[in-house]
Amino acid sequence: MTKQGVLPDSFSQPFWDAANEERLVIQNCRACNRLQHPPAEACRECGASDQLEWKPVSGRGTIYNYGVVHDCPVRLLQESQPFNVSVIMLEGDPGIQMFSHLPGTPVDDVPPGGAVEVIFEPTANGQLVPEWRVIAG
Amino acid sequence: MYRNAEGLGIWEHRGKVAAVGVGHAPTTRRWDGRPETCVGAISIQALRQAIDDAGVAPEQIDGLVVVPDTTTGAFWEEGKPLPMDVIQSFQQTEDPLDGVAKISTEWLLANMPELTNVQFTMYGPTCMSNALNVTAQAVGDGLTHTCLVVKSWHNFEGRYYQGGANAGEALPGTAAMSQLWGGPASYGTALQFAEYCRKYGKSHEMMAPFMENSRRNGLMFPEGYWAQHRPEELGPEDYLAARWIAKPANLFDNDIPIMMSGAYLFSTAERAADMAQKPVYILNHASSNTRSRSLLPTLDEVEADTARTARKIYEGAGITADDLSFENMYDGFSLFHQFHLEGLGYRGIQFGEALDFYQTDISIEGPNPVSPSGGNIGSGRSRVWMHTDCIQQLQGRASSRQVTGVKPEVAVSGGPMPLGGNFTVWSASPD
Amino acid sequence: MERQPRLITVEDEEWPVLVLISFDIDGTLEIGDPPGVLTMDMVRLVREKGFLIGSCSDRPLSGQRAIWAAHEIEVDFVVSKHMLPDVKAQFEADVYVHIGDREDLDRRYALAAGFEFLWPHEAVAHPHFHPEI
Repeated sequence: MTKQGVLPDSFSQPFWDAANEERLVIQNCRACNRLQHPPAEACRECGASDQLEWKPVSGRGTIYNYGVVHDCPVRLLQESQPFNVSVIMLEGDPGIQMFSHLPGTPVDDVPPGGAVEVIFEPTANGQLVPEWRVIAG
Repeated sequence: MYRNAEGLGIWEHRGKVAAVGVGHAPTTRRWDGRPETCVGAISIQALRQAIDDAGVAPEQIDGLVVVPDTTTGAFWEEGKPLPMDVIQSFQQTEDPLDGVAKISTEWLLANMPELTNVQFTMYGPTCMSNALNVTAQAVGDGLTHTCLVVKSWHNFEGRYYQGGANAGEALPGTAAMSQLWGGPASYGTALQFAEYCRKYGKSHEMMAPFMENSRRNGLMFPEGYWAQHRPEELGPEDYLAARWIAKPANLFDNDIPIMMSGAYLFSTAERAADMAQKPVYILNHASSNTRSRSLLPTLDEVEADTARTARKIYEGAGITADDLSFENMYDGFSLFHQFHLEGLGYRGIQFGEALDFYQTDISIEGPNPVSPSGGNIGSGRSRVWMHTDCIQQLQGRASSRQVTGVKPEVAVSGGPMPLGGNFTVWSASPD
Repeated sequence: MERQPRLITVEDEEWPVLVLISFDIDGTLEIGDPPGVLTMDMVRLVREKGFLIGSCSDRPLSGQRAIWAAHEIEVDFVVSKHMLPDVKAQFEADVYVHIGDREDLDRRYALAAGFEFLWPHEAVAHPHFHPEI
């Protein structure tokens, strides 16, 4: 399955640069010590725009929820239908979610609550994107 | 304009603003390319019908509220030649797609020369629910005394949401963080429903009575798409045999995109008393601007916000759930209507009980009517039927769809999503 | 009505061939929305040839049945778009064909289910729909 490519903008560049180095970073507000994802120009809690940083996270999480996409509007993904799309909650801050196709997990055979770890996969233009893999056992 | 906090007390204009006139243009599945049927033309048609319905002269109208967006998933393809024959059939604005893929107050006023006295204009973005809040507040505040409000939708050839960024080879970096994974529009709702089913031990099959009821009601909505073009029922076998879009949301859990336009005429309660239709009074309007913590609202966030919204709805109107004759909350994805119901505490149901409630008598003939409008499931994608039905029910002119198991006195409508949205409380009397 | 295999001649020998045709409705049949190029008379033709026929559509099953009843055409099945594997399992035929107008739905589901696929304009010109063949 090949995702669309990514054209980092100045705002998201640090996230995508880290991904190319196989590091997962999430935007954090130093004032609140609060992660937020997707990132924003200001902290959604306190409104500060000069306290935002990109913070490394552990790369572990759990499967919070999932669905199976059978009819996808994205042309590049249509040949891979049906596929899992799961919501991952990060270890350390379960309020932060990331999406995942759960590579290696059979379609519609997703363990809610299962432990996952981040991996990095290339997109159509070579940009690496964080994905998640179920940890066996 | 928006009442999005708790603790605001009774709405200061409770019972002093009324909806009177209703207008709808005929629906179609897609635009056929003719000037007579473009989104601007059908908007004019609906507005004129609302004016006639209220029995007022056009020069009495001094306000116009418009939802400028006329789609969420059907766009004029970049590079495609503009339909100049259509554009030049009308008075134009600076945007050539005005009247074709959007509508503005300027375009409408330029093409409705009979509206000679409009002094107040405002936009209610995205939804009729939003525009109703704006209209009610504006009339109450005295910014306008006789105000039109309109919401229209266009639909072009091709599949909804396909094209544009979804057809491209790459996405901008920030958008990519949420869009790379290809979840269709109903994906978020499907996941909330999946979480709900796991938490409360429910199943998708339990949706079937709600779907059947909604389509039944929609087939009694002569202004709606299914009644006008394809009067097909949607029985349990039909519903459960449909293919998945984003499991557990199937084809029929998604509303069908159409072209339509709906308009209302609002006025002060005093002026409305002399108009051609029975006034329907606004007891309150309420809004939610809650955002989820991260990419998708969790079920906990949904339940907290729907309950909070209900508290705002009831507080400002000075009512409780027991006062509701019926509800017409949004159902564009059928799988979230129950979240609205549970947040309202409609007929006393608690979180986790709505699907069981669907297995009881939810018909218009019964004591617990659910979505008597039939909503978007019953009549196609509009985010308008729910409001029209409230007005018509309380005016006693919902024809074969008129609720008979309850006395139509107070109702609530609104949406769209369970997190966020705008809501209106309607009443047959100002008290 | 039991469908009888048609006899086709190959190198002077006759072979029975039972053909199953699945029709999409919207964009494929003349009564669809949008209308397609296959007429209901064409459907009647293959019915009279002894083919197994039915519809495979996003329309509700009851709606599909109502269409066939309104046109007085007896069909062997009505299914949703994703149910072609069920059709193949239920009916033993020598040839399975689905006719539809959508790459992402009709063609994809047809090929995944092991059906041959014809676009509507291809079907109109196909020998299945020729009265003399």
